[in-house]
Amino acid sequence: MAAPGPGEYFSVGSHVSCLTCLGQRLQGEVVAFDYQSKMLTLKCDPSSRKPNLHDVILINLAYVSEVDIINDRTETPPPLASLNVSKLANRARSEKEDKLSQAYAISAGVSAEGQHLFQTIHKTIKDCKWQEKNIMVMDDVVISPPYQADNCKGKEGSALSHVRKIVEKHFRDVESQKQRSQAQQTQKDSSLSS
Amino acid sequence: MSMKQAGGNRKPGSGAGSSGAGGSGGRQNLGRGRLSVKGPSAAVVCNGVYANMRMVHVLTSVVGTNCELKVKSGIVYDGVFKTYSPECDLVLDAAHRKSPGSSVGLRQEDLVESIIFKASDVVVVHFRDVDFNFARKDNFTDTAVGGRINGEHKEKDLEPWDGGRQQHVVSGSLESLDTDVSNGWDPSDMFKYNEEQYGIKSTYDSSLSTYTVALERDNSEEFLKREARAAQLAEEIEASSTYKSRVALENEERSEEEKYTAVVRGEREQHTLNRENKYIPPGQRNREGMSWGAGRQNSPRLAQSSSGPPRPGLHDYSPSSGADQRVVNGGATSCPSPSSRYQSGPSPLPPRAATPTRPPSRPPSRPSRPPSHPSAHGSSAPISTMPSRRMSSEGPPRMSPKTQRTPRTHRVPPGSRVPPGGDFMSHNAPGEVPVPPATRSSSSGGTWSSVVSGAHRPRSPRQNSMGGASPGPSPQTGSASVEPVTTPMSASSPAAASPAPNMAATSVEVKDSRIQETRHNSPTANKENVKPLESPPSISRPLSKGPPSMAPDHRKQIDNLKKFSVDFRLQSSSNPDPQFQQMMTKPPRDAGEKSKELPLDKGSEEGPVVPAGGNKPDSPGTPSSTLCPAPEQNRGPDVTSQGVQTSAPTFSGGAKLEDKEEDDPDQIRKSTLNPNAHEFKPRVYTPQPKPATTPTPPRPQGQPSPSIMVQQPQQVYSQTVCFPQMYPLTPVSPGVQSPAMYHVQMPHMTVSQSKPYRPVPNMPQQRSDQHHPQGTPTMMHPAAGPPIVAQSPAYSAQYFTCSPQQFTSQQLMPHYQSQAQHVFSPVIQGQTRMMAPPTHGHPGQLVSSTTQYGEQTHTMYVSQGPMPQQYAHPNATLHPQPSATPTGQSQQGVQHSGNHPAPSPVQQHQALHMGNQPQQQMYQALAPTPPSMTPGPNPQSPQGSFPSAQQAVYLHPQQMQHGYNPSHMAHMQQVSSTFRSPSLHPEYILYEQAHIQSGMVPSHHGNPGHPQMMLMATQQQGGPQPQLPQNALNPIPVSSTTHFSYLAHPQVQQHHQQQL
Repeated sequence: MAAPGPGEYFSVGSHVSCLTCLGQRLQGEVVAFDYQSKMLTLKCDPSSRKPNLHDVILINLAYVSEVDIINDRTETPPPLASLNVSKLANRARSEKEDKLSQAYAISAGVSAEGQHLFQTIHKTIKDCKWQEKNIMVMDDVVISPPYQADNCKGKEGSALSHVRKIVEKHFRDVESQKQRSQAQQTQKDSSLSS
Repeated sequence: MSMKQAGGNRKPGSGAGSSGAGGSGGRQNLGRGRLSVKGPSAAVVCNGVYANMRMVHVLTSVVGTNCELKVKSGIVYDGVFKTYSPECDLVLDAAHRKSPGSSVGLRQEDLVESIIFKASDVVVVHFRDVDFNFARKDNFTDTAVGGRINGEHKEKDLEPWDGGRQQHVVSGSLESLDTDVSNGWDPSDMFKYNEEQYGIKSTYDSSLSTYTVALERDNSEEFLKREARAAQLAEEIEASSTYKSRVALENEERSEEEKYTAVVRGEREQHTLNRENKYIPPGQRNREGMSWGAGRQNSPRLAQSSSGPPRPGLHDYSPSSGADQRVVNGGATSCPSPSSRYQSGPSPLPPRAATPTRPPSRPPSRPSRPPSHPSAHGSSAPISTMPSRRMSSEGPPRMSPKTQRTPRTHRVPPGSRVPPGGDFMSHNAPGEVPVPPATRSSSSGGTWSSVVSGAHRPRSPRQNSMGGASPGPSPQTGSASVEPVTTPMSASSPAAASPAPNMAATSVEVKDSRIQETRHNSPTANKENVKPLESPPSISRPLSKGPPSMAPDHRKQIDNLKKFSVDFRLQSSSNPDPQFQQMMTKPPRDAGEKSKELPLDKGSEEGPVVPAGGNKPDSPGTPSSTLCPAPEQNRGPDVTSQGVQTSAPTFSGGAKLEDKEEDDPDQIRKSTLNPNAHEFKPRVYTPQPKPATTPTPPRPQGQPSPSIMVQQPQQVYSQTVCFPQMYPLTPVSPGVQSPAMYHVQMPHMTVSQSKPYRPVPNMPQQRSDQHHPQGTPTMMHPAAGPPIVAQSPAYSAQYFTCSPQQFTSQQLMPHYQSQAQHVFSPVIQGQTRMMAPPTHGHPGQLVSSTTQYGEQTHTMYVSQGPMPQQYAHPNATLHPQPSATPTGQSQQGVQHSGNHPAPSPVQQHQALHMGNQPQQQMYQALAPTPPSMTPGPNPQSPQGSFPSAQQAVYLHPQQMQHGYNPSHMAHMQQVSSTFRSPSLHPEYILYEQAHIQSGMVPSHHGNPGHPQMMLMATQQQGGPQPQLPQNALNPIPVSSTTHFSYLAHPQVQQHHQQQL
């Protein structure tokens, strides 16, 4: 195992499991540990199961009752890549704006479907915003409740047709997802019952 | 929040940088701090979490992601991770409290703009679905690209592509690309390919039997011997620095500046360029490079070609081209100085070779000095010959280096001049030390010089010389410079042994400077360069009695040079003025050299020298030259070295005056170079307890160790420099006081130096900043202590020196001589005095405002300036004490300020006004005294009359600056003290070191300030004789006080406070 450096109580790369004072068990690979602040950073498998993504957990060891080192890493930790700070700052800003706009929509009484649609459109077209309960896409297309493809209105053109396609696909996906989840549910039920 | 956020922003930035560099993160941070020149940034030391590189990296890479933060109470907050503090406090933007019950509960009123969570409250923070590659800068590496491919490609390893072996065509080409190190296809492959693919058979015979006889290889002893011999020769050739340098040239390692902005060179140069532009197969490059490379070297180096030194210089140049550019801005001085030194040094002394670029400069000076000293001591005649020889041999090499350097260094011609001066200065200083002048050294100037180290002092002398010459120089820079030089030389002759060495060095330097000038003047053709080179020898012959012998040597070396020399002779003898004008730098230089040599030689030489000076000066300079010589002779013993130094500056200065309009940048550059050299010397002196007798040996010793010390300080300087820029707007920044002071000065200085800059005060500052950063790197290179000093000087010098040299040289020359002498000898005396009487006397002398630091300093400066003048003109006895204090200041001032004053008093005024606006109040207080001072000086020194009036105005600004920053004052004083100390006291050395370390910033400031000081001195020179005595006394005490402060930085601060 890589001997912890001075002041290091966890070697980077080792796997650790700990139990917080709130009864939450956390496990992951040590990414960083700061002795002074007792902050431990773990890298875990992503909760979404998406590849190339990780969950990062920052743990305050002051509130951890037990720490177990599952295994140590023998390899030296990889060098740190330089970060594009401006990119990170932009992400922070856009995330914040998204959340604020989402909160705005929710407070406006938009239905869950509407919010969901908005999120979907926003993935494709950044230029969309809430106008009361209507979704404004590129200041050109207005989607009003109940947010179906027929509710998309605006100047006839590629923009409108494009938005319609997105909306249609969105509901198709939602529908298929529902069916899938239902199927899974039924499977579980059947397995349980059996 | 804001605070934290700000901190967070910084941290991420630093983290990113450090992460990229890995272990070197810390260094990078430091470097940034310096570069940024922001005090805060530099002060921001990574602490807490920020010191944990990996933690910083991880936390920074999750910035902007949504997270759930759980606090002690079990409440969960959801928000966008914004930033974190060193204590690991976390900031969430758009956060809301997450209630387990309602999934859609997010409402606008629940959102909080941002929440700061104390680390002690945080239990767990969960960042979901983080993409670690999001912000990676190396997005295009194999790993990064492979890791981001859509789908499940993560586990797929990259494997080399075999390119489809089945397809011969493809595989063949691909393989060749991968494995073929040669340039393109191997001929046999091409033949094979053609034959296989198209059925074409080549009749090519690799033995070329049709054209030549194939080498028959056998195992016979003879063949083996020959083969071994050939291999040996090849090895020798390839191992030679010349070969390498040429190869380097071939490979386009020259700087962009050299390639695109350099002055057009001679035919040889062009030839090389043409070749470079053509594509040359790798196999042929070496050969061709050899051939044309040699040609190149010859043209520029001429003399060098014969001697080893030139080669090193070339190498240095080519490899360090990048560095040079940087240097140009900040460290230009250093580079130039090395070159000049090299050139001069190489032939005579091996040491230079050891230390290529920057180190060389110092070493060369040392070597040159030692030889010169012996000669000087032995007999006047020998001495003269020595210099002349050096000149001839060294001159050419210098020329080449200069040319090369000049282009690279932005045409640092000024710098080159400065370096010589610097060397001289240092030399002079030691020699002078024994003499009474010590008092001057004690003056504030000393402090600056100490920090800047020798460079400033050297400059100052030069500047002084320049100042003396100024009257004459205006028409012809070269001539003007020569005159001053001559005068100094005469003075030096009296100086005796120490002076003689100095003289020699100076002569060399002068040559260098001339060379540079010539190059500048006629960059277009190599021929011009050659002429300059030749000219020096020729001049030396006619002018110096001993030199003729030297001239022959030169002739032998270069026929062309001979021709040129002949021409020069004719010119000098017949009508120096026109020729000089045309030749500009060269003729003047020669004259200056001759004159110098003569003085060095002793009385006999002096006579010739004077004539030489007269010839050269003719139109403008004759009067001044005559005047100068007289004072110089009087001062001679002490001044000799100084005079030499000054002479060099003067030359440059004269040239600059004329050229300023045309070649301001060049001049400036030159000046910068010189400053560096000076700086180095001073340091050397400091270490040496008894420099006077044997300046050269001590310098080398001292330089190495000091240099190291200095380097650190230099860095500091750079930072400080940055501050100054910032400060100009806000003169009053307590924390930054010293820096601010410097800054203020800097701007002024810069403005004054370069006319173009005048309109835009800010510009100079910016440049200075740039220079600093650049300089730091350069500093690094020098590893040796001296470079550091040089760098700092370079910064200030660049702007300052350039113009200063021109201007200062005119009026300052005389002053310097006298001052320098005083400084060294008085040092001890002055120190004692300094300790006791310090500030009190000053205030009274200068003006009403005694209490204020700035005033004191101003007074000090003023007094110093006058003091030197008095010495020179009136009575040597009186002068010594005053001179001691003034000398330091004057030297410093001369170095930096001297140049400024000389170049464009008007500019200075403007600059001062510009920068002083905030300081205007100060001015008002100070103004009264300075003006009075200035008037006096003018009358006294005819040469200085011009400058004096202007100088007076300048003085005010300078004073103002000083006043503004108490610390500066202190620094100045300290610097002066340090300078003095080096020569006489070991203790001082310690002080200097301390200064350097702690006071690096001050020194930088001082440098900028020096110019001002210089101005003051110059002004004083003119008229203040009466005032001088008083001033002189006062200055000394001040310096003494400063010295103490220097010992410990805290102490220094205390002093300032007290004064305040």
